[in-house]
Amino acid sequence: MPGSIGPVSVVWVVLVYLLFCSRLLGVGAAPICTNAQAGCHALSLANLFDRVIQHSARMHGISNDLHSEFYFLPSKNQIGRVSRNCHTSNIFTPNGKENAQRMAREELTEVILKLLVAWRDPLWHFQQSIAHHHDFNNFSTNKALEMSDMVHELRKGVEKVAEKMQMMGIISNSVSSLASPEALLPSDSAEWRLMKDYDLLYCFRRDSNKVQNYLKILKCRIVPEHGC
Amino acid sequence: MSVSSSSSSSSSTTSSSSTSNLLLLLLVSSLDWLSTRGSALAMDHMTSSAPVGPHFTECVSREQETFRCWWSPGGFHNLSSPGALRVFYLKKDSPTSEWKECPEYSHLKRECFFDVNHTSVWVPYCMQLRGQNNVTYLDEDYCFTVENIVRPDPPVSLNWTLLNISPSGLSYDVMVNWEPPPSADVGAGWMRIEYEIQYTERNTSNWEALEMQPHTQQTIYGLQIGKEYQVHIRCRMQAFVKFGEFSDSVFIQVTEIPSQDSNVPFKLALIFGVLGILILILLIGISQQPRLMMILLPPVPAPKIKGIDPELLKKGKLDELNFILSGGGMGGLSTYAPDFYQDEPWVEFIEVDAEDADAAEKEENQGSDTQRLLDPAQPVSHHMNIGCANAISFPDDDSGRASCYDPDLHDQDTLMLMATLLPGQPEAGEDSFDVVESALVIERSKRPLVQAQTGGPQTWLNTDFYAQVSNVMPSGGVVLSPGQQLRLQESTSATEEEAQKKGKGSEDSEVKAQKELQFQLLVVDPEGSGYTTESNARQISTPPSTPMPGSGYQTIHPQPVETKPAATAENNQSPYILPDSPQSQFFAPVADYTVVQEVDSQHSLLLNPPPRQSPPPCLPHHPAKALPAMPVGYVTPDLLGNLSP
Repeated sequence: MPGSIGPVSVVWVVLVYLLFCSRLLGVGAAPICTNAQAGCHALSLANLFDRVIQHSARMHGISNDLHSEFYFLPSKNQIGRVSRNCHTSNIFTPNGKENAQRMAREELTEVILKLLVAWRDPLWHFQQSIAHHHDFNNFSTNKALEMSDMVHELRKGVEKVAEKMQMMGIISNSVSSLASPEALLPSDSAEWRLMKDYDLLYCFRRDSNKVQNYLKILKCRIVPEHGC
Repeated sequence: MSVSSSSSSSSSTTSSSSTSNLLLLLLVSSLDWLSTRGSALAMDHMTSSAPVGPHFTECVSREQETFRCWWSPGGFHNLSSPGALRVFYLKKDSPTSEWKECPEYSHLKRECFFDVNHTSVWVPYCMQLRGQNNVTYLDEDYCFTVENIVRPDPPVSLNWTLLNISPSGLSYDVMVNWEPPPSADVGAGWMRIEYEIQYTERNTSNWEALEMQPHTQQTIYGLQIGKEYQVHIRCRMQAFVKFGEFSDSVFIQVTEIPSQDSNVPFKLALIFGVLGILILILLIGISQQPRLMMILLPPVPAPKIKGIDPELLKKGKLDELNFILSGGGMGGLSTYAPDFYQDEPWVEFIEVDAEDADAAEKEENQGSDTQRLLDPAQPVSHHMNIGCANAISFPDDDSGRASCYDPDLHDQDTLMLMATLLPGQPEAGEDSFDVVESALVIERSKRPLVQAQTGGPQTWLNTDFYAQVSNVMPSGGVVLSPGQQLRLQESTSATEEEAQKKGKGSEDSEVKAQKELQFQLLVVDPEGSGYTTESNARQISTPPSTPMPGSGYQTIHPQPVETKPAATAENNQSPYILPDSPQSQFFAPVADYTVVQEVDSQHSLLLNPPPRQSPPPCLPHHPAKALPAMPVGYVTPDLLGNLSP
């Protein structure tokens, strides 16, 4: 019936139009404003920090779980059998609270970004190798995949935080990682390919804890609202 | 059957399989336990066989800034002397690292303390115990990183507050709050701590742990009243496994005192409610206001039988009751107004509502009802009242004779009965109506009484066309004010003419102005119309039972109208009760105020008998009763206009 089709088609057109409009207008989850565009409501810096800190905490939790799964030898002394140094050892990271607090905000932010960038490839490869090994259950492979994704997202989040801080004038524009992340990678970045899985997990667990710690210190130094 | 059996068999099989599973589970668990025990035993055996060498018991950091390591000589007692063992550590923060000795010894506690300068987080440390001769006693290095050996100090300032108590008064909730350990630098974000609360009943060790959470307060639900609880707390770093020490215990106990408070308001409300009800009842009893009583305690309807005074029923006057019921002298108790008038065609004419148009006569005569009624020429039926009372004869009544009340006049018994039946007080309300009806009944059975004395056929009641309503009785009667009659009578010549026509005496004057718009009390001839003659009323006006001022009826027979048209035209038959004409001797004196006792189905008004001003001459001797204060008349709307002033 032409008469019945008419209204139905109209409805469809309206729906499609609405969908497109919403897409165009950006209705939905409010994205983080990258360039302080007018009309997009930006999150506060404290909110951004909370988000990335939560993210890093979750990432550290997953790395801890995976590490404990691999750590088959229950020794009451928790002996860490580090055969070689982690590939991120050459990145200078503050090893104490005072050192971290004394460090400049820009430097600390750069350290965080360096760490995150350094772990992008190794984790991706690790997840690939785990997926192909049938020794590991689905739980482990899922966690590995999630972990590699989280590193990626966390890096983006920290970059956004850095941008906001630069915009607000909290830090200077000397953070070079934003310009070219690949420059952060050490020259001998293939070192991580030689690491065993266990060592990789051990190192990542340590580095994720570092990232979480640095982010928290940065947040409590810049926006100590609540949670500090 | 088969299904059930199969299901039962399946269930039995499942049950058997489940039991077998349980057995297997038990076996496995027991085996496991045995194995662990065995391994432990084996280990103990092994350890006991060879003396345990010097070893590190534990290295702990409290705040992730410093750490300590404790060692023990083990079975080598010769090494227990201080200084016999030395601690060396290797800090792998650079490829070229070497073993160093403990920066700070505490030989009493066998502890090696690493201060802030010597502590680096995220850097692997390896510890060694060496003897005096550089003999290392550990085959494996004790290696760790500082963040992994953190055991935070217990939280401080643990206390609790009562949140609420359950409505049953048996359990309560408690909010516990505390402060993070002062050594942990939570403010700088250096340590992120999560807390675990454990509680138990006092003097038991059945500790129950709540979920770990990073906030410094937590609610414990479902504690029982009266029991004493012990609560302590510990904490650890988020995403790490090592807990700190437990804090000192805090004791919680809530007794049952608060439960009483909840009952008190309830009891108070109950008491106040009861008191209020009692006061209300007292007020009602004291006030005795009829209206209030009506509202709050509506009267139970008394048994109503038309024609019978409920008082009779109450007082058990069976004789009279039987008399009535058997219709003695009255013609039965089927006292419904319509029944009376079935014989009387003219009655139907009088009906106001046209619904009952069965009678052709009615239809024919409706147009001329008034005239018929007012026409004195029309013969008055035998049932016309003749006598002293004002009786309005209906068309078929002898106009000349229709002046007296019902034959009941003669019947003293009847009268007495009527008197007794008629409730004496207008306040009797519904009773009056019944009485009226009963009177009607009574009247009906009576023969028309021709009262000689009056000699006049006037049956008109001297009533005014318009009467002033001076009061309304609770029973519904309307009290009219008299005194208009004289004027009316004077003004109406027609009535006089009529009177002359009728050849009545003084009663002629009472002939209503059929032409004029005057209302008159219609005394219904019980014979012809079944109305109660008020002649009786007037006789009754010696009021019968008195109690009711308007007990008697005034039956007014509508006089036949001479001039039909005029009369009808001007006959404004409004159901007013007109005051009694003092002049009419035959009529029951229409009092100034007449109480309408009832309105029957024909929309006729049943009026109270007028107050007896002078005993009508025609009235036979009848028991003296209190004079009705008000004239009572039964007036049909149609006949009203026929009332002669």
